[in-house]
Amino acid sequence: MKIDVFNIIGENCITLEDGHKIYDMIHPDLSAGNNVELDFENVKIFASPFFNSAIGQLLKDLKPEDLNRLLKITNLTATGMSVLKRVIENAKEYYSNPDMRKAVDDVLLEQSQNL
Amino acid sequence: MTTIYIPTINDDLSDFDKLFTLWNQVNDDNLNVTFDFSYCYFLRQNAVAFLGGLARLIQNRSGMVSFNWDSMREEIRSNLGKSGFLNSLGHGGSFWTGNTIPYRENLTFEKRNVVDYLKLYWLGKGWVNVSSLLRDAIVVTVLEIYINAFEHGESPIGIFSCGQHYPNLHVLKLSVADFGVGIPSNVRYFFKDDSRFKSLSAASCLKWAFESGTTTKPNGTSRGMGLDLLKNFVKINKGRLEIFSHEGYALISETQETFMNRDSFFEGTLVNITLQCDESYYRLSSEVVDEPIF
Repeated sequence: MKIDVFNIIGENCITLEDGHKIYDMIHPDLSAGNNVELDFENVKIFASPFFNSAIGQLLKDLKPEDLNRLLKITNLTATGMSVLKRVIENAKEYYSNPDMRKAVDDVLLEQSQNL
Repeated sequence: MTTIYIPTINDDLSDFDKLFTLWNQVNDDNLNVTFDFSYCYFLRQNAVAFLGGLARLIQNRSGMVSFNWDSMREEIRSNLGKSGFLNSLGHGGSFWTGNTIPYRENLTFEKRNVVDYLKLYWLGKGWVNVSSLLRDAIVVTVLEIYINAFEHGESPIGIFSCGQHYPNLHVLKLSVADFGVGIPSNVRYFFKDDSRFKSLSAASCLKWAFESGTTTKPNGTSRGMGLDLLKNFVKINKGRLEIFSHEGYALISETQETFMNRDSFFEGTLVNITLQCDESYYRLSSEVVDEPIF
């Protein structure tokens, strides 16, 4: 499956919500072991919340080696790639550290109750 | 009605103390305040952004605020007019022109508005002579200031920003203020179950926020790389990044990473960033896309 991110989100890939749209599209295929290409042609502005929800949270239940094999990122600008790499580093640390994850989840639970 | 005299405010450390003194004076319920400018000879962009926030803070706390426009020197009035400040505060005034980057209030994060502000008004006038790709890179980096403010700040009155281009110095300055809970409060809350962190100083909290990739985000994702990204960019650019939050102060430059506690206190977060306009200070590393990224 190939996804043209610009067609779905536009030239600004910034928010968690937009990231979720992409995550929801690619997660089932990746979980099933299918190849996915995310094409970022014409996307100009990136921010970490977008990458966190679109790609970072894939590491919750998918292995890095599987993602390296199945998910192809194309036409991403150098700046976009540097943001994405940092997001992935953080996500790997987060999902591989149960204590940290619990601490974060506790805060999130409280935050959601306060909304 | 209390009259508060606005002093001349530049962007040295002592000037930020003046801003935080003003914040202390108005941080109360049901205040009726008039801002008087009789003793003010100059206001930098940090003061303009902060002053707008103070006005909204007073209103948000059931007070009334007025500006003694007649007490204002013509140059200041002209600059506040050009920045759109007068217009935002209900005093008419012409729209933005010249070297001023507009005063902006954002109650919510509307991605197109913020991106356009940075792209068109902050960088878009050709002040920074760089390719569109580099311009986008700067926007991506500075955007993290806004995202941090909206995600962590919990500012009941939103985010306030203003900028200025200094042609003789070849620098661009942008100030972003939120009037929320502050970075130290977020960090201490994050470690609330760990007694060691209760006594963590504001400076240590700022240092942690810059170094760690472990701040919290909704939906089970982790992040916290915004400040890290900014730090790297400022170093490459030989720029300067200052953050004030509670009594904590962070200064990042090419050669310096200073975190300290100061005497003055501001509950929210004020970010001041200075970027060099010279293209030679910008470089983008080429990334090898084919290598495994996970």
